[in-house]
Amino acid sequence: MPGNGNQMTERAPEGVRSDEALLVVRAGEGDEEAFEVLVRRHSPAMLQLAMRFLGDRADAEDAVQDAFVSAWRKLPEFRRDASFHTWLHRIVTNRCLNRLRSRRPAADLDSVPEQAAPEHQASPARAVESRAAADALAAAMAGLSPEQRVCWVLREMQGLSYESIADTVGISLQAVRGRVFRARRYLTEAMSAWR
Amino acid sequence: MAMSANPDRPEESRSQEIQPEESRYEEEERLACGRLLSDVWDAWDAGRTADDPHLTACPHCSAASAELTGLGDAVRRTCAEEPGVPEATAAAVTARVMDLVRLELRPGRPLPLGEPEEDHWIVEAAAARLLRAAVDALPGVRAGSCRIAPLDPADPTGPVHVRVEVVASLDRSLPDLADAVRARIAEVTDRDIGIRLGAADVLVVDILDDEEEDEEDEDGDAYGRHGTGGAA
Repeated sequence: MPGNGNQMTERAPEGVRSDEALLVVRAGEGDEEAFEVLVRRHSPAMLQLAMRFLGDRADAEDAVQDAFVSAWRKLPEFRRDASFHTWLHRIVTNRCLNRLRSRRPAADLDSVPEQAAPEHQASPARAVESRAAADALAAAMAGLSPEQRVCWVLREMQGLSYESIADTVGISLQAVRGRVFRARRYLTEAMSAWR
Repeated sequence: MAMSANPDRPEESRSQEIQPEESRYEEEERLACGRLLSDVWDAWDAGRTADDPHLTACPHCSAASAELTGLGDAVRRTCAEEPGVPEATAAAVTARVMDLVRLELRPGRPLPLGEPEEDHWIVEAAAARLLRAAVDALPGVRAGSCRIAPLDPADPTGPVHVRVEVVASLDRSLPDLADAVRARIAEVTDRDIGIRLGAADVLVVDILDDEEEDEEDEDGDAYGRHGTGGAA
């Protein structure tokens, strides 16, 4: 289902991109105020991404915080022709992957996210049905291995191509395909049990 | 909800990067009709299911495709219903990040203030910030990189060499603009900061898009070098 929540392929308008490039250069030269603008600008998308990986709000906040501090340290080596967003995305992904790996296996089934219900709903019945599907999916996702979960989220929720995922996670295209396939196989099975 | 354990999940060997079975997934999961599940799903993924009559006619293949469609619906609903990141959460994370960043600033090299015998210094990052702000205050130009170093590396208390990169609009000629930037740098280094300027390079690295007149001229790569050396 390419196209779901496809934020990664959106291109910023020219003006925003050149402004961003200036901020990145300034931050790389130790201007922490420029860095603060970048953090403020990118933190909502990075928090949402981490939330999808980790399914836990506090964990997602910690991962994103670590990722930004790490980005600040690595910025002097950042290549100017690279995309800051893509670079940051990679750092957050790897932080989250490490967090998933370090979780104790027993904790996984308890880490189903507690998502607050949206405040207003057009149809309560439909909302309940949606909520149930979302909860079932969230519960099923907790059963994926860290590697499967990360690749699957990047593919199905972030809308990345297999090539971009391979680049982001730093594994082969074949390994990405295998992980997404296995995640799908597991999730379809878990979701059919729910239905 | 009953949940079957994921057979792919490594129990103890989670840190192992190489999981050989992941590269052999095509060999397994053959549907009753003989097709590989991975092929059926790849076709679905690429939107090519309709191209192969078997995939739509075969009950096993269409059931496999329908499972993926069902999963896709659940993903779409989940994304649509996601509560989103509250502004306060993003602001709190930003504040925490910046608290940590301020504990490990990168101030750069110290630069001499005033006369050599005075022994007053300013760090490069602070001086660069002042210079960038001064350049930004000029119309039609914004500063990016700003490096400041002793003109003579052997003389750390001597005059400095400023190298500033700017993004400029095409409102006026680039040489005029580079001159204006250099004059501003000379003024601010000398009068406001109190560092002795030995040389100033201004490098135009990009053309600023005019946001009002949204004309898509493809001059974004223009890279002009203007004025080497020549302290005011």
